[in-house]
Amino acid sequence: MKKLYAVAALLSLLGLADALYLTIEHITGQSVRCTIISGCSAVLSSPYAVVAGVPLAMVGAAAYFAVFSLAILAIFGYPKVSGLFSVLVIIMFLVSLWLIYLQAFVIREFCQYCLLSALITTALLVVVLINRRSRR
Amino acid sequence: MKRTIPFLIILAVLGAALGSAWYLTRTIPASPVTPIAPTSSTAQGSPVAQQKPPAVQGVPGAEPAHTLGPANAPVRIEEFGDFECPPCGIFHPILEQMREEFGDKLQITFREFPLVPTHQHALAAASAAEAAGLQGKFWEMHDLLYEHQNDWKKEFDVRPIYEGYAKQIGLDIDRYKRDMNGDLVAQRIFADGKRGHSLGVKGTPTVFMNGREVPFENLPAEKLRVVIQNEMRSSGK
Repeated sequence: MKKLYAVAALLSLLGLADALYLTIEHITGQSVRCTIISGCSAVLSSPYAVVAGVPLAMVGAAAYFAVFSLAILAIFGYPKVSGLFSVLVIIMFLVSLWLIYLQAFVIREFCQYCLLSALITTALLVVVLINRRSRR
Repeated sequence: MKRTIPFLIILAVLGAALGSAWYLTRTIPASPVTPIAPTSSTAQGSPVAQQKPPAVQGVPGAEPAHTLGPANAPVRIEEFGDFECPPCGIFHPILEQMREEFGDKLQITFREFPLVPTHQHALAAASAAEAAGLQGKFWEMHDLLYEHQNDWKKEFDVRPIYEGYAKQIGLDIDRYKRDMNGDLVAQRIFADGKRGHSLGVKGTPTVFMNGREVPFENLPAEKLRVVIQNEMRSSGK
């Protein structure tokens, strides 16, 4: 159990770094110049990259930070965090599915760092599923 | 004690995340090209007084180039642009604003740099602007293409839309249609692209000021204004 949460904590740290990178790219606009190899610039400059004025990458960073915090609390035996942890990861997974859909069919550009985030969230979901099963 | 350890870890990660975010997004000084003001002991315009990278030359682009403003302006801006590129569309009104503010002190040159595999209509847009240029209406078409970027970039066939613009600015439509696909237009775009490549242009908008590249992060109006002012000061006009 603790090992699983440790894995989750490490994964969420990776996700946090990834989302922070995307947030910084978004805010400073460094990559938002158009280049022959497109990708993150097209995705980050799209209207889907902002929700209610907040860069989506920043929301992602906050979510990873929350997952990390909950995983750490779970490792130290705080009760009642595992439910919250699972719900959060499931929501993040569903949002990631939606974002992949947007990249594939609406923006028609893939952003490798956004895909990395989706991969990390999927791994977190696997952790949640193993966790649920081992508890039974 | 044990109960505070997780919170310390969480706080440490939060601190590291916010710290690195702050460090990487802190405002970049408005101008890395800030010239060292010539001191009284060094003669004006001496090479010592100007600690700037040397201006780049590159191969010539299409001739005559599309320019606005006097050729002897103290600040000459050369933009490599792609009409379909959103940041170029954002940069267009900024450059207009600078022209209003600085008037005759500024000369603007536009170079075609259509990013063909990325932007499906960029080449057609560049051709439309160049075809209009052959009838002396390059800037009129340039403005319409940028201002209506969102109207045409998602369309499947942009040619009728561009023809509408051509009519709007009073072009001879038959000649415009011929020129769109003509050699002269293709050669001009190719020449500008060649110049871009020789200057190391990788994306759009890429802006050169008196032969030196202006970093992309200095292109927002409030930063570009400072960069232009510094350039005017250093050229002594």
